[in-house]
Amino acid sequence: MPNNIKVVKEKYRIAGINTGIISRKDWIIERQARPYIAEFEGVPDIICAVDDKSLTEKSSNFPMLTIQECEYMWTGEQFCRQLLGFDGFMLHSSAVVYKDRAYLFSAPSGTGKSTHTGIWQRVFGEENTYILNDDKPVIRMIDGQVYVFGTPWSGKTDQNRNAGVLLQGICFINRAEKNQINKIDTKTAIYKILNQTIRPDGADKMTLLLDVLDRVLQKSAVYEMGCNMTDDAAITAFKGMNGVL
Amino acid sequence: MKIKEGFMLRTVAGQTIVVPVGSAAVSFNGMISLNESGAFLWSKLSEENDRDGLVKALLDEYDVKRELACCGVDMFLKKLREAKLLDE
Repeated sequence: MPNNIKVVKEKYRIAGINTGIISRKDWIIERQARPYIAEFEGVPDIICAVDDKSLTEKSSNFPMLTIQECEYMWTGEQFCRQLLGFDGFMLHSSAVVYKDRAYLFSAPSGTGKSTHTGIWQRVFGEENTYILNDDKPVIRMIDGQVYVFGTPWSGKTDQNRNAGVLLQGICFINRAEKNQINKIDTKTAIYKILNQTIRPDGADKMTLLLDVLDRVLQKSAVYEMGCNMTDDAAITAFKGMNGVL
Repeated sequence: MKIKEGFMLRTVAGQTIVVPVGSAAVSFNGMISLNESGAFLWSKLSEENDRDGLVKALLDEYDVKRELACCGVDMFLKKLREAKLLDE
């Protein structure tokens, strides 16, 4: 670890939660978190920090990541784990906003989530849509409503916005020749969501996750879609998730 | 026989599921869903029990023929054995 690194201790509001992050100046997370800087009284509700020793250790365990990427990913994981205490969870997905509603497209890495939300931007217009978070948006229950939030942790493409938007629906995608979307049953939805979020460590945390999932699923629709890369994919997804198909 | 340690039963949006927690999560990566009688039998296996005990419990709780109860219990035990959730 170089000696001349300045450590930044800053307050942020992320997904509506008072957050403190201790990070290294000009590294990835410090730069990405700047739009989320906020003032608040008292101690943060969530704290993210990776000390030098842990960082060096993690960096040697993950040689395919740069040391900056290690700090970025581990602060993100810390946020997502503590988030469970605030009626929220992270879903590995790309979240696009159109007409004041957030549409989440989830799948294992490499399937084409970002490609699909990119098609939405092309079809519905860049001026009418934006990417709330391209990799790990946060879903949170606030006053009985389901919101989706952008966070500074947004994967390779850095696309994120500091905003909270009502959830329209969650859609699990897979590649197919023809575009076809349908709702899935609760059991399948739970299984797919559990596979695209951080697995909680311990029974207490699992209970928190299942509790928030219970409330979110009672209010939200979950779909699966086979999609290709044509414009029709975005149109089919939009119609399907708005009950027009 | 009884259910192995480290599995949590919860009802999520009306669906009863079982997920691993702690060290059980290392060897069992998935999730099991249970219908109403499955959830009932699960609770009867949280303590030491045997196949006949489960059949009797099902007959006490539900108004079904003995054949159906046996069938239900055997299918349930098969599912648990396949997922390696049973300590026998």
